[in-house]
Amino acid sequence: MNTVDEILDYAIDQEQQAADFYAELANRAEKAGMKEILLDFAAEEQSHKDRLLAVKAGERELAPEQEVLDLKISDYLVEVDASEGISYQDALIVAMKRERAAFELYTDMAAQVPASHLKEVLQGLAKEEAKHKLFFESEYDERVLMDN
Amino acid sequence: MSLKDLLSPFYVWQRAFEKPYTSIKPIQERPGSAAYRGFHINLSEECIGCGTCHKICQNDAIDMVRVEAYEGRSGDSGLRPRFDYGRCCWCALCVDMCPASSLRMSNEYTWITSDPTEYHFTAGVEHTSWQENPLGYRRAEGYHLYPTRRIDMEMRPPEDSVHSFDEVVLGYSEEQALLEADRCIECGICVATCPAHMDVPDYIRSIRDRDYEKGLQLMYRTNPFPATCGRICTRRCESVCPVGIQGEPIAIRWLKRFIVDQVAPEDYTRILADQTGDSGYRVAIIGAGPGGLSAAYYLRRKGHAVTVFESQAMAGGMLRYGVPSYRLPDEALNKDINYIQSLGVEIRFNTRVGREIQFSELLDVHDAVFISTGLSLPSSMRIQGEDHPRVLSGLQVLDDVASGRDPGIGGQVAVIGGGNVAMDAARVSRRLGAEVTILYRRRIADMPADAEEIHESQEEGCRIVTQAIPVEVLNAAQPGQVSLQWGEAEMVQDPKGGRPRPVLQEDRMHTDTFDCIISAIGQGGDLGFIPGNLQEQLAIEWGKFIPGEYQHSALAKVFVGGDVANRTADAISAIEDGHHAARGIDRFLNPETYSNSG
Repeated sequence: MNTVDEILDYAIDQEQQAADFYAELANRAEKAGMKEILLDFAAEEQSHKDRLLAVKAGERELAPEQEVLDLKISDYLVEVDASEGISYQDALIVAMKRERAAFELYTDMAAQVPASHLKEVLQGLAKEEAKHKLFFESEYDERVLMDN
Repeated sequence: MSLKDLLSPFYVWQRAFEKPYTSIKPIQERPGSAAYRGFHINLSEECIGCGTCHKICQNDAIDMVRVEAYEGRSGDSGLRPRFDYGRCCWCALCVDMCPASSLRMSNEYTWITSDPTEYHFTAGVEHTSWQENPLGYRRAEGYHLYPTRRIDMEMRPPEDSVHSFDEVVLGYSEEQALLEADRCIECGICVATCPAHMDVPDYIRSIRDRDYEKGLQLMYRTNPFPATCGRICTRRCESVCPVGIQGEPIAIRWLKRFIVDQVAPEDYTRILADQTGDSGYRVAIIGAGPGGLSAAYYLRRKGHAVTVFESQAMAGGMLRYGVPSYRLPDEALNKDINYIQSLGVEIRFNTRVGREIQFSELLDVHDAVFISTGLSLPSSMRIQGEDHPRVLSGLQVLDDVASGRDPGIGGQVAVIGGGNVAMDAARVSRRLGAEVTILYRRRIADMPADAEEIHESQEEGCRIVTQAIPVEVLNAAQPGQVSLQWGEAEMVQDPKGGRPRPVLQEDRMHTDTFDCIISAIGQGGDLGFIPGNLQEQLAIEWGKFIPGEYQHSALAKVFVGGDVANRTADAISAIEDGHHAARGIDRFLNPETYSNSG
């Protein structure tokens, strides 16, 4: 991946894979109410993909300089299985950790590229993933850590 | 007709250009004195529509009228005072009594109009020239027509209570209760706010009348757990009590307890005189907590046969196994439950639906089913090392203590969480002789526990460390102990709004060692007893049922309520859910009875 278009295509593909992942998990979900929640997650990933498509089409710009709050919730949580018996808490952990991994991937890639438009795009993608992580961490903070 | 008669109308014209003898308006308007009792001002945003002005007015000059802009606000009736200046005598009793201090008087006193209906006006809502007038009568600072301080409740001193499971709150004497009841201004704002809509002003009046039997009857109309709620209710009523705006709210919860404490349990049957016929219908209830037993009580009063399926050995649910006896003694809880059972409610103890009996069987042999199973599964922290044997759940510790078992907590305890379960686990640990540290990720002001519980836990020696985030559980050097790594947090404003969020500061980490860690970060419902195909048909969101009208689920025969179906997760809401479901089940079983009543 050496061009901006290739990077954006990769990122768009990753978002599609994430949407497919949650949709497939929703099909297998056994616990009451989890199907709808996982389909909501899939829709959220689809909206991420749509935003990146808009970037590729030149209708929207990434914001590599944007400050994004890092709640650091997922950093200290254990890995959980994305099984059919998944709970809401675990589904959020899976989502937070996936977004965190994507954030770290783009951050590492940007660090290896000399100053250029490509570097800015990678930094912008990292910020996008940081925002997605914040979205799921805020949900976790509100709904799971209510008494804590 | 003479010539004089013909000309006489024209004679008046000779005076047309003379100076008039009368004036159109008083020559010079003299302003009222600075404290003059003139036209009324109402600060409508501060007014709560309690109607105290209307009640105290000796001339019936004030009506309370609906004002759309203020409808639907919590602790606000949506009404505002409308004045009739054909009746007002400017005595200012309304201003002196106003608990919200929203009512005052301007020093304006002249109002000339040819339309007498204009002298009716809704102060602060309809435009008047004097609404912003800084002069006029105000109630003097510190002057009130009723005592603003509540009668102190006698409590066991913390140095004694920390060594005992005896009740901490000792209750009012009759003299104290009468004085406290006298402070009630009977506005009824509390009735709308109470989830069960208890008739608070009337049962407080029964204290003034020393008619405690009447008080008990009034309470059972909407709440069959008055002894319990008189002790541990979250008392949203008190949070909106207008007397609390200028002072301390009426001690509604303690007054409720006082009434129940005056009546012996053996007199309940005579006083309440509940009729229980036989409708021929059978209703199953899953869970003998406050929601389930409230439904059972009101269903029996409708004549329906009720069987309650309870997984534990005793009834009460979280009230028995989650609330320690120093807050809710068994005798008080049993007083409520025994009366409900006396109406012919059958409770099958040690019977877990999904294990001893299947959910589908209940559906087959009953005409309706009410699910009120509560939140019994402790939430997991999901941090590294959490499965350490010295990490205990708060619910388990409370259950052990309530059941007479030793929870084996040791002498140094960390409690993680800021809800009532965390506070109770901490206070129970203190009573078992432990030194207790409560770690909470946000600030004390953010704690979901009752302020009273937080205060009492501190008084009893629990140390609260706020903005502390646990990150890992570690093996300790000593066997039988456990270490906790935690980090300090900074509260950061969320750019999207809402309350500030704690953010871990990785350069400020600590590791402390304890004999056990009690995790009390929340709990969820266990819906595993419902077969998958039926779960799909029930509306469930975030692990809770979404009830429809009258607590009806999406399944025809099934009704849901209590903590597993509401957001508030407190006893009084569960009690109301049970009452509401009983009405819904009765409508479902006897639709013809309600067909014309809407």
